[in-house]
Amino acid sequence: MSITAAFILYTLTGLGFITYLFVRADALLLALKILYGLSIAAHALSFSTLWRASGQLPVATPMEALNMLILFSSVAFMPLVFKRKTAILAAFFLPAASIVLAFIAPSLQAGTEVLLGPHRTWYVLHTLSVIAGEAFFVVAAIVSVVYLIHERIIQKGSIHLRLSRLPPLTLLDGILYGSLALGFFSITAGMILGGLWASAVGIALASIAPKVLAGALMWLVFGLSLHQRFALGWKGRRTAIITLLGFILMVLLFVGINAAFPESHGIRLI
Amino acid sequence: MERIFCISINHRNAPVDIRERIRVEPAELKGILGKDSEAFAINTCNRTEVYWTGLEVETVCFLLGRLSGCEESSIRGACEFFAGEETIRHLFMVASGLDSLVLGETQILGQMKDAYRQALAAGTTDTILNKALHRAFRAAKRIRTETGIGTYSVSVASQAVELAEHIFGDIGGSTVLVVGAGDMADIAARRLRDRGARHLRIVNRTHAAACRLADDLGGIACTFENLADELVTSDIVISSTGSVRPIITRDMVATAMKLRKNRPIIIIDIAVPRDVEESAGKCYNCYLYDIDALKAIVDRHFAHRETEAKKAFSIVEEESVKFGKWLDSLSAQSTIRDLFALMDAHVAEQLRGQSIPQEEKAVLERHLKSSYKRLLHRPVSFLKEHPGVRYIEYVRRVFKLDEDYTDRHKG
Repeated sequence: MSITAAFILYTLTGLGFITYLFVRADALLLALKILYGLSIAAHALSFSTLWRASGQLPVATPMEALNMLILFSSVAFMPLVFKRKTAILAAFFLPAASIVLAFIAPSLQAGTEVLLGPHRTWYVLHTLSVIAGEAFFVVAAIVSVVYLIHERIIQKGSIHLRLSRLPPLTLLDGILYGSLALGFFSITAGMILGGLWASAVGIALASIAPKVLAGALMWLVFGLSLHQRFALGWKGRRTAIITLLGFILMVLLFVGINAAFPESHGIRLI
Repeated sequence: MERIFCISINHRNAPVDIRERIRVEPAELKGILGKDSEAFAINTCNRTEVYWTGLEVETVCFLLGRLSGCEESSIRGACEFFAGEETIRHLFMVASGLDSLVLGETQILGQMKDAYRQALAAGTTDTILNKALHRAFRAAKRIRTETGIGTYSVSVASQAVELAEHIFGDIGGSTVLVVGAGDMADIAARRLRDRGARHLRIVNRTHAAACRLADDLGGIACTFENLADELVTSDIVISSTGSVRPIITRDMVATAMKLRKNRPIIIIDIAVPRDVEESAGKCYNCYLYDIDALKAIVDRHFAHRETEAKKAFSIVEEESVKFGKWLDSLSAQSTIRDLFALMDAHVAEQLRGQSIPQEEKAVLERHLKSSYKRLLHRPVSFLKEHPGVRYIEYVRRVFKLDEDYTDRHKG
């Protein structure tokens, strides 16, 4: 199954969910849930094809890492999409996922390079944890966008708009908190595993410093978001804004570091 | 079609002093009904309407004059008169709330159904009005489901509920604080309870009034001195007191928000002068709406209803044309014509696909038609002897002559 099939399915499902945003029909939602399941299946199949062909976890290039991030994010969104109250979140996630897939699809080629020697398992676990954490942050960012839109609609009293039928604010806030907590936990585990792996294979700190710094900065931002929630009760809008800023920082760091320090891990960066 | 009529004394054409004096009960209608006549009346605070067939308009006007104690001429001057197709269109519009003071309201449909039940019990309606009312209910249902006329509520209390639902989802788990025990607070609290609010707390300066309302609604009465504490535990606050200065200040809300760790709170201030300081709305996660903000929302919803009403009018038009066709078919002559057309269609269907020579086909056709004519002789003779609409309708239903219009009335 090629990535193109996954891209087409994602795009179709995304368009379907945008339609569902305005036309709430039960039959349409059921069809979209099935399409969503098929999209993930197609994407997972394409991912496993890449994995089998290269003989290693396909995250050797930034494009492959993005591919995995989209797959993980789709899986992280699945429980939300399959619930009626939150299914509409897919209308905000899938278009973004389709655009990223369209951008990376031409660069995805199996078996570009074989990178790893010893302590391969640690490396795989590190990668899986970090990308799972980033996937939860993708969920948190999308939910933040929806939260801010819905709050604006409520403040302006425009609850007659079809677009206003979004999940209630308290539910969105709960999802935001849940995904931030899960993401923070995964990223923390990923950073520890990464540190263990780097010291085991003897990678010098100097060669991974930019990535470590970037990771630490991101970790701090999301940690701060959770801390403020517990310590100062920053629920809702403020958490959503910090999460969005953190997410933008994550994207900038990903692009910036991969462009400026392409070999900083001793391998291509994740 | 010119056999069904209506007189409507409504909010558009009659002053309240006339409207409040006229109320037509089924028993009074029964007194004026003769053979082959039917009548139906509906009385609401905004209208009194009588629909009938087989009566003279003067008879109905005389009845209305007698009931109201007004001159017949003043009744005529204060009413709208509809005949034929216009009557049906009007009936369908009334049932759908398209002729109501609050466009698209649904209460009228319930009132109409109640009035119809009474009419059935009194036996004042028969074939034509039964069918007309069933079609009116059907048109109203179609309009509810096929247009967005009822999507958004236009009452202040409903707005409060909808806004709360946008923030909390199901309001069943939210604590509702009602500040004040007057009429507006009462209405809002009842609406919230009807929409699923289970934890109601009532605060009022006069504690006894709060207790009375709490008992009535199944809530808990709290003392006015505890208002600040109640803000900490409540999610939805509706305030409607007669206080001349704000009773909920920004400081109170800010303190409450701190104590509730910024859990969202929605405050609906329907009092004039306002009960809640405007700046309280600036507190983080506090959503404050005053009467003007709610009115702005209601106005937008009205605009939406007006747009949807255009679609509703086309449904009314479609349904009244269908009803008109049915009504026109209620004559012995047209029913007999339809019976013979049905016979021809059956014969043609039976001959279709028969691989026999043309001459034999013609003979067979003659035989079939002759048999069918013998068979139809009895209903045709019966119709000629009993040309009343009830018998015509029976025959049409037995032979399914109105295939696209076969719903059954319970009359």
